Amino acid sequence: MSLWRLEWLRLTRTRRLVALLGVYLFFGLTGPLSARYLSEILGAVGTEGVRIEFPEPRPVDGIAQFAGNVSQIGLLVVVLVAASALAFDARREMAVFLRTRVRGVEAVILPAYAVSTGAAVAALVCGSVAAWYETAVLLGRLPVARMLAGIGFAALFLAFAVALVALAAALVRGVLATAGSALTVLIAMALADNIGGIGRWLPTTLSGALPGVVNGTAPSRYLPAAAVAAALSAAALAGAIALGRRREI
Amino acid sequence: MILRTAGLSKRYGSHAALDGVDLAVPEGSVYGLVGPNGAGKTTLLAILAGLRRPTAGAVDCPLPRRRVALLPDTPQFDPWLTGREVVALARELVGAEVPAARVDEVLHDAGLVDAADRRVGGYSRGMLQRLGIAATVIGEPGLLLLDEPASALDPAGRREVLDLILRLRVRSTTILSSHILADVQEVCDTVGILRSGRLLFQGSLDSLLVGRAIPAYRVRVREPVAAVLQRLRGEDWVTGVEAEPDGGLRVGVRSLPEAELQLPRVLAACDARLVSLEPLAADLESVFLELTS
Repeated sequence: MSLWRLEWLRLTRTRRLVALLGVYLFFGLTGPLSARYLSEILGAVGTEGVRIEFPEPRPVDGIAQFAGNVSQIGLLVVVLVAASALAFDARREMAVFLRTRVRGVEAVILPAYAVSTGAAVAALVCGSVAAWYETAVLLGRLPVARMLAGIGFAALFLAFAVALVALAAALVRGVLATAGSALTVLIAMALADNIGGIGRWLPTTLSGALPGVVNGTAPSRYLPAAAVAAALSAAALAGAIALGRRREI
Repeated sequence: MILRTAGLSKRYGSHAALDGVDLAVPEGSVYGLVGPNGAGKTTLLAILAGLRRPTAGAVDCPLPRRRVALLPDTPQFDPWLTGREVVALARELVGAEVPAARVDEVLHDAGLVDAADRRVGGYSRGMLQRLGIAATVIGEPGLLLLDEPASALDPAGRREVLDLILRLRVRSTTILSSHILADVQEVCDTVGILRSGRLLFQGSLDSLLVGRAIPAYRVRVREPVAAVLQRLRGEDWVTGVEAEPDGGLRVGVRSLPEAELQLPRVLAACDARLVSLEPLAADLESVFLELTS
């Protein structure tokens, strides 16, 4: 029974993995569907005498619907699941159990980070594959290399978000406080996207990379944000470990 | 000594949770750390376990950190783990050199074999406490720190935990914090009394109680009680006599050796039918109240 297995059991026995996979799969299946039939749906419920015309849906619209939905609700679930694993100091008695037995706090943080990130990326891949398949069936084929690049950028963003949660857990104690702090930073970053040319350097830009790359944007446009996300993830984890070592229980 | 502290202090702003504590814990002892709520017991144990840093002073313990184990007052575990998984995780964390068979051994010692494969979310408080002890002793710690291990339990749970502590005393040195003085008097051989962060007394339980024993005897006679009472009140070596509700007499004396000689003479002179005769020792509670009041 290692800490890696503990984190895996946390995901499976508490249904957190089901929640993650469920959210991403749900939007993976419904995103392309709503893109394909949005005009018919609105036409059926629309006001009599008012006619709404939509352009013919393209394959990228299916992926854009999926990415748009999971960038909010999916990210919220990822942050909550990660906070429940990484805020292990939230209850003193449980913190005592772990901290008095491990050589260093990194022995707890790293498995919790890796398993949470792995689960989030697995959910992203499942949702993306579902959206990809359904888009191909309903709207048309998608470029394989661009889809893979887009999924890679989105996965890197999730890894950054979970690292941010780890840092927040080292600064505040409760699960909700941890999740709230991380989400506040992510929302602030998303708002800063619109300030001048700063957006292309911010990790939050990567949350829109999947539809962007599929729609024709050069993947290299996202490389600065990817580099910053990777660097900030490493820094956040190092910070979480350093702060975790100093924390008194 | 397996553990010594020198001038250990811990301040939170202007509040001194610990103030110059010089602890000395003999190897193989069960050391009872007693004190009222807020005395600094939990803070002291947390520092000894390496969970908090002292503001001043030093801890001298030859044991490696991983051989010092702490059990909090109300141990908690992830409720979706089974009891066996909790102990197996503790074993994995303290070191692979502990054989896997030891998991079943400590679960058996803790009386949790039947519940070992149930999730701990359904455990009672007493079971959680015993599971906490099992997860603490799995690594065979050289120094065991138990923070109020029986304070939240019902009498049956308290009895089980105290018995478990008594069985552990042969394997490791134990520091036990408690404000239940009867528990401390039952399982501890060394005592430290802490109040407002200061160590008021430290030493063997015997030296604490004997040194402060009030010289007195409890005498129970069947008859004639009134005659014995009157006769005793006239003796110059008797400092006071009180009739107790159960029919006994509490006889204060100048000294116990003197009373050993004189009491049988008085009882014989009264033709008293003696039921029992015992010297009264001070109990920990009265000494504790005297020291902390």
